[in-house]
Amino acid sequence: MRTYVCRVSALSLPALPVPPNLPQDIAARLTTAAGLSRGRFAPEFLPTRIEGLDRLLGGGLPRGALVEMSGRASSGRFSVALSALAATTQAGEAAALVDPGDHFDPQGAAAAGAELSRVLWLRPRGLKPALAAAETVLATGFALVVLDLGLARILRRRFDDAVWLRLARRARFHDVALLVLAPYRVTGTAARVVLAADAARTGWDRSRESLSLLDGLSSRLVLEKTRDPNMKERTSLLNLSLLDAVRAGTKERKICLEREREENAVALSSRLSAFGH
Amino acid sequence: MERTAGACGEQQKDSSFVAPRLACLVVPLFPLAARLRSEPALRDEAVVLCEGNGTAAHVVAATRKARKAGIRPGFTLPQARALLPDLLTRARDTESERAAMEALLDVAGTVSPRVEDAGDGVVYLDADGLERLFPDERDLGRALIAAAKRESLPARCGLASSKLAARVAATLPDSPVAVPAGGEAAFLAPLPLAKLDPEAEIVETLARWGLASVGDLAKLPAADVASRLGARGHALHEIARGRDPRPLVPRRPPPGFTEGMELEWPLVTLEPFLALAESALERLARRLEAEAVGCARLDISLTLEPEGCDTRSLDLPAPTRDVKTLLTLVRLGLEGRPPGAAVTGFSLTAQPDAPRKGQLTLFGPAEISPDRLAAALAKLFALLGPGRVGAPRAVDGHLPERFALVPFAPPPPPAVRKTPKTGRGLLSVRVLRPPVPLEVLLEDERPSSLRTLASAPPAPADGGGRPALDVAGAVRVASGPWRLEEGWWQETPAFRAYWDVELSAGGLYRIFRDEPGGEWFADGVYD
Repeated sequence: MRTYVCRVSALSLPALPVPPNLPQDIAARLTTAAGLSRGRFAPEFLPTRIEGLDRLLGGGLPRGALVEMSGRASSGRFSVALSALAATTQAGEAAALVDPGDHFDPQGAAAAGAELSRVLWLRPRGLKPALAAAETVLATGFALVVLDLGLARILRRRFDDAVWLRLARRARFHDVALLVLAPYRVTGTAARVVLAADAARTGWDRSRESLSLLDGLSSRLVLEKTRDPNMKERTSLLNLSLLDAVRAGTKERKICLEREREENAVALSSRLSAFGH
Repeated sequence: MERTAGACGEQQKDSSFVAPRLACLVVPLFPLAARLRSEPALRDEAVVLCEGNGTAAHVVAATRKARKAGIRPGFTLPQARALLPDLLTRARDTESERAAMEALLDVAGTVSPRVEDAGDGVVYLDADGLERLFPDERDLGRALIAAAKRESLPARCGLASSKLAARVAATLPDSPVAVPAGGEAAFLAPLPLAKLDPEAEIVETLARWGLASVGDLAKLPAADVASRLGARGHALHEIARGRDPRPLVPRRPPPGFTEGMELEWPLVTLEPFLALAESALERLARRLEAEAVGCARLDISLTLEPEGCDTRSLDLPAPTRDVKTLLTLVRLGLEGRPPGAAVTGFSLTAQPDAPRKGQLTLFGPAEISPDRLAAALAKLFALLGPGRVGAPRAVDGHLPERFALVPFAPPPPPAVRKTPKTGRGLLSVRVLRPPVPLEVLLEDERPSSLRTLASAPPAPADGGGRPALDVAGAVRVASGPWRLEEGWWQETPAFRAYWDVELSAGGLYRIFRDEPGGEWFADGVYD
């Protein structure tokens, strides 16, 4: 006897020997139980809200998989993580950030749209507890777990490659999207998707005379490895504008005021010297 | 439980009197049972419990193996050792007895809210109104015995309409024994008068009257007994007739669950203590589970040698019953702040709290299982330490490194999954806590090159002693300064001049000069 399972999402599946009197729309949603275990359903994605990245990944961070993103400092890694945290928590799901470098900025995350009450922030004091903490939260039921390994060089001898396989297996078992941020590739064969951010360029607004203001940052995202044949694109552009436009405006005003004050001081001193003081 | 009309004496005539059904749980050799509950490894050994010191030490209770060797209560220790040289001895442990008594009361509390603590391993409970749960009274007794066994207490149970009858029934073999309602007088009649525990003066009088059994006393006219023996005699007569005037006195449940023990010898190292603490925590977890609550705070009290006490509390981020997690917290607490003297006893008190409830939704995202979340939070708390686990909270102020952590208690997910707002990619900043000291060269009062100072604190994730930010190079673009002032009213106000700098070799940093001292720091990386 063959068992049929119906899922709400419509899928394009190979033809099944379905009963002829079954309505077509229902028949289109059927697959065998064996098909379920082979993972023939399209994976669920957690969108990051960064258009280029979501397109590159086929919809967002795949649930049940380890995605590694590597890149040097100022390559946009952390912004991607915050954007994913914001998108996940806005959808009403809980997310965890394992942050051994203690780099998280709650104000910045709130400005990016994250619901902080749904974010579990873990601040381990080293790599080993960070990995243990990640393993624990992966088994808890969070939709997204971000493990940020920070900026500093990581000593490979501090941990075993099997750690990443274990984390990837946990993520798959508990259907969690695990995003690992590292200065360079560390997860070995465990990652389902590996992204590299390189060729970062800083954008400066030079429209004001003798004054440069930080405008944003752009870098190139390269899909170095994927196990998903549906991911066709290999590169994408990651454009990031300064987090808080208001803050940029305030900064600009402050700089202008500072300049003005300095100019006034110079003018005053020149006037005083002209009067012979 | 079918209640039948009383069959003897005035109980039949007095139709208004309906005696409540009582159950009595008794743990035979309670001090020994309490000690074996704390040290289950001794259960199959020849052990005696002693009271008194030196030559005055005498046996209070003995295990089955010791009794088989001929050791009886009242023996002196040398007498017992003469019979069994390998005999293990333990002193009476009031802490274990207290914990065992509480556990027995908790067992009774699982079936009835009205429970009386009669002390020394005896508990009475109101068995009225349990007919639907236990149509046969003996099933109730079996359930109580089984629950007590799960708490490592070998209990016996008796059911009757008077305390004395229930107590006596509990001591009989083939427990549980149920005395039919109204049959208490007949049940007590053959017992000796000593079972009524009368005063010495009354015993003497009754002996002079030639009475030997409870039944003999019950047969006497009530009015005559009252006129000759007074109020105390009348009460004794009522008990003998199966009408126990002593009401059930329900206890008020204590706020916490306590387990602990007094140690045979002082402990100076952590590992043996943790082995004992684990056993106590397992017992605590069982009791918490029976009440469907979790431990929200664990109070630890250590008795120190030669005198003194060390008390401490461990606040948990969420109620949990996970023994491993609680034990890790105890270990971390003691490693962080050792008691400073040898430990001669301990007690662990769990302050209970209701675990979080989860609500499933049909169309919204799944909520994290409250039990699993509580266990995970406690585990993470034990792993990372206090102040390292929680939900972040935005704080008012201007300093970029500011933050606050609050206990993680996510709101329930929405009934329908929300679609996240589409937005542009936003550049955010990695905050460097604490700020990394820099050496900065200036040209025209603008940073021209910078380098991390050797005194920079190491990165926590590295483990190799390298600083959190290790940069050096020429500045390609510098934007600034903009000033930040905060806390001018404080002793250490912040006056900073900030710059955004891009290095020629790559990297975009937020640096500042501390105005009073003139030192430079990096406090953020645009990433």
